[in-house]
Amino acid sequence: MNEATPPNDAAPARPAFPYEGDAALRAPIEAALTRVVDPEVAMSIVDVGLVYGVRVADGRVHVRMTMTSAACPVTDMILEEVETELDRALPESLLIEVELVWEPPWTPERMSPRAQRFMQW
Amino acid sequence: MDARTHEPARAALHAMVSAPAHRLRAAARRQRMPWRVPLVMLPILLTLVAAVAGGLLRAGVALPGDELLLGRAALEHAALMIGAFLGSVVAIERAVALKHRAAFLGPLASIAAGFALLLGQSALGAGLLLAAALGFVVASAAVLRRQRAPHTALLLLAALCWLAGNAAFALGIGGEPVFAAWFAFLVMTIAAERLEMARLMRQRRSAQLALFAILGVLVGGAALCAVRPAVGGLLYGAALLALAVWLGRHDIARRTVHAHGLSRYMAVCLLSGYAWLGVAGLAWAATALGWPARDAALHALGLGFIVAMMMAHAPVILPAVARLKLRFGNVFYLPLLLLQASLVMRLGAGATDPAWRGAGAVLNAAALALFLLVVAGSALAWRHQQRSSLSLHQEALR
Repeated sequence: MNEATPPNDAAPARPAFPYEGDAALRAPIEAALTRVVDPEVAMSIVDVGLVYGVRVADGRVHVRMTMTSAACPVTDMILEEVETELDRALPESLLIEVELVWEPPWTPERMSPRAQRFMQW
Repeated sequence: MDARTHEPARAALHAMVSAPAHRLRAAARRQRMPWRVPLVMLPILLTLVAAVAGGLLRAGVALPGDELLLGRAALEHAALMIGAFLGSVVAIERAVALKHRAAFLGPLASIAAGFALLLGQSALGAGLLLAAALGFVVASAAVLRRQRAPHTALLLLAALCWLAGNAAFALGIGGEPVFAAWFAFLVMTIAAERLEMARLMRQRRSAQLALFAILGVLVGGAALCAVRPAVGGLLYGAALLALAVWLGRHDIARRTVHAHGLSRYMAVCLLSGYAWLGVAGLAWAATALGWPARDAALHALGLGFIVAMMMAHAPVILPAVARLKLRFGNVFYLPLLLLQASLVMRLGAGATDPAWRGAGAVLNAAALALFLLVVAGSALAWRHQQRSSLSLHQEALR
């Protein structure tokens, strides 16, 4: 990858978050979450490592994610975008739950390898 | 195409702070946008218009209108711009992040303060600004409590600078000590947010310590402005210059400027702002040494640095705080370009020639007006795009 190209236009190179549930839904969920980009950092929430895990069970898709800052006023917009992208990608019968958590706190080590390359680690 | 694109077909739930599953619905209700935040945008814009009109008068530009009102706008230019406009915007951002209704009382007080100042109620205006800063300190402390991190601690320190500046203003202390505290509030708020972003870049611990030292000198310089103006101003200017170097070295804008679209635009705004921050540092120090660089000290900082930050973040902040979605386009570069050119004119040729200074100030105001027009146009463009794609969905469903 060209180091100057932001890593926001393709699926991540490795599983970026723990996933439980229907294996067939894994790819569309990962692709949907990868389409949610934080323009400030020019990277998807998956590449930044904001997604802590996804669980599909009992007719629900449960996403646990965080933000880099509790002072971020854009939080609701990002959560809404996650819901919209999942809504587009998943069967209507599934309920979508997006849970915002602050524990464990986000650390830069959570970034994907290519996100780290983009930021010149 | 998917008919659900614009209207999610099912309930989507948010939950705050690790809420257990059975509380998800209640948490989702609590998290909704408190009150009608977009409604306060109009009075905030009016405070901006008044602040700009006052600034133009101060730069020697004659304006038509109510002389008394314009005179007050000129007298209170800094309080209107930093307290009533920027202070309110920053406090609303914090309140939206905190999602607590009480946090909106602060910005309501600072908006009201702007109108009180314009109506000649100086004591009431200063009191309301003080109350707004107190509310902002409490909101910032709540954010620190939610996330104990260096950047949230700096945000609280920035809020305390606003409180100190507003307290001094209420006590009738004017000039540099108040301006230094007010600008420290804005500069430190920006620095805290950039530090948070800088965590994405690999950095040594020494870089973070250097930033703390720089901001320590900034606060110390601001405090000294009241008792030893020359030393205080010199330290303050040195801190601004050092901060410009730090941001130029460690900010993610160095990387995101290689991206595309909105990300690149934001990075260009940020990097231009850091250059003006450096100019402001030099000018602040020069002013402390008795050189005639005060206009550059105040406006390289206020317009070159802080307004550029505002231009950078408006496309992402406005959808969040005002529910105003924008369609980004390269036209956003035009007001930024006009801001740069007008600052060069005002602070370059205008340093020795008042006519150039006035013309530069008019174009500074034009850059702000053009920016508002571009924002309004891009909001309409977004709506148009949504409507077009919605009718495509409906056609596809027929």
